[in-house]
Amino acid sequence: MNIEDQLKKIFFDVLEIEADDIEPDKSLAVSLGIDSTEMVELNVVIKKSFNLDIPTSTFKKTQSFNDIVKFLKEIM
Amino acid sequence: MEKIAITGMGIVSPSGIDKRKFWSNVSHGRCAIEKITRFDASKYTSQVAGHVHELEAYSNVSSRLLKKIDVFSHMALVGTELALQDAQMNLEHEDLNRAGIFMGNAIGGWLFAETELRDLYIEGREGVSPFAASAWFPAAPQGQISIKYQMKGYSKTVVADRASSLMAIGYGAKTLVHNKANFIVAGGMEAPVTPYALLCCQTSGMLTQHNATPQEAYKPFDQDGDGYAIAEGAGIMIMEPEARAKKRGVKIYGNVIGYASTTDGVNRIDSAEDGVELARAIRLALEDAKLNPDQIDYVCLDGAGQKKADLSETRAIKAVFGANAKNIPMSAPKSVFGNMLGASGAVDVLTTLLAMEYKTVPPTINLKNPLAGCDLNYCANGSVSKEINNAMVISRGRGGINAVMVISK
Repeated sequence: MNIEDQLKKIFFDVLEIEADDIEPDKSLAVSLGIDSTEMVELNVVIKKSFNLDIPTSTFKKTQSFNDIVKFLKEIM
Repeated sequence: MEKIAITGMGIVSPSGIDKRKFWSNVSHGRCAIEKITRFDASKYTSQVAGHVHELEAYSNVSSRLLKKIDVFSHMALVGTELALQDAQMNLEHEDLNRAGIFMGNAIGGWLFAETELRDLYIEGREGVSPFAASAWFPAAPQGQISIKYQMKGYSKTVVADRASSLMAIGYGAKTLVHNKANFIVAGGMEAPVTPYALLCCQTSGMLTQHNATPQEAYKPFDQDGDGYAIAEGAGIMIMEPEARAKKRGVKIYGNVIGYASTTDGVNRIDSAEDGVELARAIRLALEDAKLNPDQIDYVCLDGAGQKKADLSETRAIKAVFGANAKNIPMSAPKSVFGNMLGASGAVDVLTTLLAMEYKTVPPTINLKNPLAGCDLNYCANGSVSKEINNAMVISRGRGGINAVMVISK
């Protein structure tokens, strides 16, 4: 499974968001109504799933689905 | 006080979620208290409780939101939806800046909290869901109702142990009297059937230990009563000034016409044995309602099922109603489904309104041998036909909290 597919699975497992509803370049807050606590929960699960040892605050600059994909590709 | 109408009800209880099913079970005294099987309660001194079944069948809460809230908020949301529908409220035509929410809760959402605390100790800081911060605290259901329905008026959550929701309804009624809102969603919710919450309730020493016979465990005013059985649930109602309800042309179940509360100031757990402060609350509520004691047709009792509490409640009633006390039918219908703690007062109000509607006093069950000194008409032999024009609801909390409400048809 590639990073995008893994992320889509996490979005569904954590927030029940279907892959079809994700607009990759749009703000997660605006397009999917993801609030700050949901973002923290997503980030914690992403860190666990990808085995990352980084502070959760590192994700602060990621606004969209593609931002997260890009960030993960950079650090992995 | 000005009449405040109750025009919608949402009941989530061990005796049923639909109000007709609830009333059928309660008026027939069909006990809903069961042995706790949701977790291993075998080491607890109290192992029985009233459980809500079929919550999902009545729920329109999204699975995404369900992951973020405790079950006590879920029950409050289901109850609110039922109450709004029942009151035929069209929120699109309402000024939601003048829609208030007054809720009562005693202990918060512990199923969510204790699950996350376990994760804290097993996985460390990052094992804890960030949703825990907004899921557990007693005002969480108020927030969820506000978000879901965009109600943004003057609102409060009252935490006063078992008297929480009766107080919340009382404050809600006063808020409407002072014209600070057009309508109010009021009531309470509680979800104490969890390992930690049960432990805390048990520590208070107020829970029954009749574990072998769950359906006969909760025995208000009986010699063998040793406390109440906890229960989960929610009681939600829509309140609005009577004139507004009449203008809307909707059904009015009844009106809140008087409310008062006092505090014993004696013990951090037990109510005062003399019942003097409860009697004062009853008098003040009657005064607020501009009624004499002989105008009350039914009293819905707190009925904690504990000797001292049952005796002091009886003493207070005798002090106010005098020789006529024995002629007034009274009962503790919560003996049927269990004590919903912070939600109990609200469910008692709804039960009383149904009693008015069906002209029937629901029974106190499991009362076979009355406690010495408890010699009132507790309707222990089953429901009693009775035209009820004015009724009183009594709710008490640990630390000597007394709340009393007067309701008229």
